Amino acid sequence: MMEKKHKKSQHSLVREIKDNLRASPDLGIKRCMQCGLCTSNCPAARHSDYDPREMVKKVLDNNLEVLDNPDIWNCFYCYTCASNCPVNNSPSLINQILREKILNTGGNVSRVAEFIEFGYNYVEKGVGTIPSTFFQDLVDDFGEDYPKLKHDLPDIRRKLGLKEYNLKGEAAAEVKNILKASGFTQRLEKLKKIA
Amino acid sequence: MKNIPHENILLFKSCLVNVEYPGVESSTRYLFDHLGVEYQVHPDQSCCTGLGYYYDLFDQYSTLALAARNFYLARESEHTNITTLCATCYAILKKSLHLLNSNEKARSKVNEILEEAGLSHMKYEANMLSSEENIFHIVEVLYSKREQISQKIKKDFSKIKVASHHACHYCKIYPEQSITSSRNPMLLDELADCCGVKVVDWYDFKKATCGAGFSQRFANRDLSLSATRDKLYALEGKADVLLHMCPNCQMQFDRYQPVLEKELGRKIGLIHLNIAQLAALAMGADPYEVVGIQTHTIPVEDLIDKIKDIE
Repeated sequence: MMEKKHKKSQHSLVREIKDNLRASPDLGIKRCMQCGLCTSNCPAARHSDYDPREMVKKVLDNNLEVLDNPDIWNCFYCYTCASNCPVNNSPSLINQILREKILNTGGNVSRVAEFIEFGYNYVEKGVGTIPSTFFQDLVDDFGEDYPKLKHDLPDIRRKLGLKEYNLKGEAAAEVKNILKASGFTQRLEKLKKIA
Repeated sequence: MKNIPHENILLFKSCLVNVEYPGVESSTRYLFDHLGVEYQVHPDQSCCTGLGYYYDLFDQYSTLALAARNFYLARESEHTNITTLCATCYAILKKSLHLLNSNEKARSKVNEILEEAGLSHMKYEANMLSSEENIFHIVEVLYSKREQISQKIKKDFSKIKVASHHACHYCKIYPEQSITSSRNPMLLDELADCCGVKVVDWYDFKKATCGAGFSQRFANRDLSLSATRDKLYALEGKADVLLHMCPNCQMQFDRYQPVLEKELGRKIGLIHLNIAQLAALAMGADPYEVVGIQTHTIPVEDLIDKIKDIE
């Protein structure tokens, strides 16, 4: 009885990943033969305890402990694993789906909390921005030339013959309406509340 | 090699090019103008969402619906050869078209979102555009014009040693569509060769990531810099310039190199340029009014001083 139950649930984590919109239908997760080419080329494996081969094994075993392993948050999303995989698997993509699953159930929201401003900026202006929550960290690393560059940017862009990039008026309203209809604005509010 | 367009190009704006290295866009426009490539920049185009998508913030449907709007702008303005300045835009747009064309459920949901947003006229029908035939990276356009570029070189770069950093999201997400291999990336090397530089054949970590890792740079700085360090240390003394094709990589190396040099106790001395910036410089473009070297952290002036006009 126990075994049967286990078998049934064994199906689910792999199925959930295969059914996720981010995964292409030909994702070779079930074909993984644990060769370790992913891990041997992974920058996060080189510099931390993250192990993509091990992560995929846990997913295949439907071992839900994989969701509690803090190391999965070290993946760089560089897809080096995918480009080396002989069976068209993508640990990078699996990792994205696992993290999404964790966030959607309210886990580890503090990890994305500081990026929420990126979302709000996008909703208003339709462009990607570096969240201001990190600006001081960047100034500490890059020095005082960095805030000066940000100050001078409009002049530099004019000199280079480049136009305004923030969306305004109707275009900005269209983006805002799309993100409301897609549920993104609501998702931001939810993340903000939990954080 | 796949067919690379030279007209009806929508030059797709990039968030990090906009605010970190705007000279990449102006250099590309300079090159396209001088090489007879017809293009436009659409004022209403929104960003691809890539940074947010890989910060684990943007969901796939939101990214898809915004992509569908940008695809509408491309169709409406009859500039359907979408060409990106950034490797992440390239892969995000390829994935979006792939999903919109092959996944009926996703397409219906996106169209419902557009309708709810009052944008029914922007609805996407299967195969209006193709992931393979409508999404390009500027490097591909430049590569297809490499012979023309080599005939227009006005500056002597023959003493400058150049190494290349091929962006992961160009080579590794859709390797079968890229015009170089992810295991032996040579696209930038061949283009640099046309500009008359001395190309570094191979170096350790050539295929490795820049280390930005999207959220890692901010949330996990030490881990991020460990990967950046691998590559920069491997290049010490081997090259004068590291060539880029993605603003996120360029930012990681150009802005953080002084941090790593401080830790190392000596200069690594690499200058970071996008391939479009190098080609524009070689063709005689103004360093400040076209190439935009004033936004770089590692000064490019030393290099400018070394390159003389070809007699």
